[in-house]
Amino acid sequence: MRKTLALVRRELVAYFSSPLAYVVLTAFLFFNGYVFWLIMSYLNDPRTQAMAPLKLFFGGTIFFWLFMLFIVPVITMRLLAEERRSGTLEVLLTSPVSEGQVVFGKFLAAFLFLWVPTVVYVLILASYTSIDPYPVLSGYLGIALLGVLFSAVGILTSALAKNQIVAAVFAFALMIVLFSLGLVEQLVTTPWLKGALGYMNLWEHMDDFSRGLVDTRRIVYQLSLAALSLFLATKALEASKGR
Amino acid sequence: MIEVEALSKRYVDKDAVANVSFFVPEGEVLGFLGPNGAGKTTTMRMITGYLPPTAGEVRVAGIDLARDPLAVRAAIGYLPENVALYPEMRVEEYLRFRAAVEGVPRGILKARVDEVAERCMIADVQRQLCGTLSKGYRQRVGLAGALIHRPKVLILDEPTIGLDPRQIVKIRELLIELGRDHTVILSTHILPEVEQLCRRVLIIDAGKIVADGTPEQLRSGLTGTAEVKVQLEAPSDGVAAALGALAGAAGVHDDGGGRYRITVEGGADLRREVFRLAVDRGWVLLEMTQTMPSLEDVFLRLTTRDIAGEAETGAEEVADA
Repeated sequence: MRKTLALVRRELVAYFSSPLAYVVLTAFLFFNGYVFWLIMSYLNDPRTQAMAPLKLFFGGTIFFWLFMLFIVPVITMRLLAEERRSGTLEVLLTSPVSEGQVVFGKFLAAFLFLWVPTVVYVLILASYTSIDPYPVLSGYLGIALLGVLFSAVGILTSALAKNQIVAAVFAFALMIVLFSLGLVEQLVTTPWLKGALGYMNLWEHMDDFSRGLVDTRRIVYQLSLAALSLFLATKALEASKGR
Repeated sequence: MIEVEALSKRYVDKDAVANVSFFVPEGEVLGFLGPNGAGKTTTMRMITGYLPPTAGEVRVAGIDLARDPLAVRAAIGYLPENVALYPEMRVEEYLRFRAAVEGVPRGILKARVDEVAERCMIADVQRQLCGTLSKGYRQRVGLAGALIHRPKVLILDEPTIGLDPRQIVKIRELLIELGRDHTVILSTHILPEVEQLCRRVLIIDAGKIVADGTPEQLRSGLTGTAEVKVQLEAPSDGVAAALGALAGAAGVHDDGGGRYRITVEGGADLRREVFRLAVDRGWVLLEMTQTMPSLEDVFLRLTTRDIAGEAETGAEEVADA
């Protein structure tokens, strides 16, 4: 456990000692501020029907997804690919830490880096107005699950690729596929396939969570897919040793 | 302490290491010698568990690598050939990270970091970013990292490569000191280094062990290449023949200008005979030196293959070293 925490710490230090952290966080704040302003303007328009603002903020708009799909590969791409390129992986994997610990440590670091800062929004919002806590909580649960899934996919591609950019592009492609399963759902007519794709519809997952609807099937889907990605990443790391 | 049994690494079209076995008892400093691409790094990586072997077994401190890789990794301090550090970390941070990963207890972590920094002469750069260090410092920080958990076994892949002569001397002193209380395998190109540091030498070529013994044993096993160099003031004809006729002389090379090289068989000492011959014939002896076969000769003889080009590159490397 202590070794994993040391890995997490090192990763977070690495994020914040490169320009990456500041670029990403600034872009994140700027982008979310813009989206927030858009949503507010939209809601203030008399022609709009009444809606919960946080529902729109989390997944109700395409903006949330756009940002998510771009930023996660950028954050996760270097985690293993860079260590392999520079050769630090050799030292790490000849230390008494298992490949699983390395993968999990890096995953945890990416997850914390991306998702902890979002809590700021709730705190800011809560200090100005009373918020309905349960949809917010479930919205955050949804975001966290999505974060777990996407970070895990990002780690997987970083474990497979030798080059950061390849890892990022590969992660982006995989996430688009996962995300677009929900769009494919609307194209197919075969009932069982439609049902299966509906189960995998991430957009709808987020929609449900942001309305305060916590569905265990969704939790199981995202967590098991994330676990599978981490498992495959561990295996890929083991297989890539010495190469 | 280190047992390697029938270790092999096969790539698609060639054997990088083929059926290598050796044993390193506790406290021994073993030098790994061989030309580039001979399989030194591959063998070392297999012992550390970084490279899975195609076949064979490795036991370190009695632990089977295949059965408990983490315990073996914990017993080994490893300095890879290309020392890679995290450029954004300070030296101190890096060592603390290494200590945590190696499982050094938190209470003694600070003391341990100071201790290895002192030992590896990097105390003055503790606050510096790893990315800004010179090659020599990086090498020493890497070594400090390998020592941080006080491993029983040290595996050092070319620890003095890329250092300036002054740093090489310092690192060698440190390695001699480390050799007193560690079991060490170190690989190198530099032959005097092996003679200075290692009690035992393994010469590896094309994935196979071609020689195993103390530097003295390796030299004495290689008879027939001792030479006596002489410079004489004498009539040019008949000198070579007379020298060649001496008992024990295997051959004479006339280098011109009265210089001759006499190859000696069986490690005999020909100097007295040469002197008497010169006195008898009235030649003036200007110079005489005896050269014993060096480890370099052993190395070249064992690792020089038929292809002339390859042999030449090998010789150049030794000369460079």
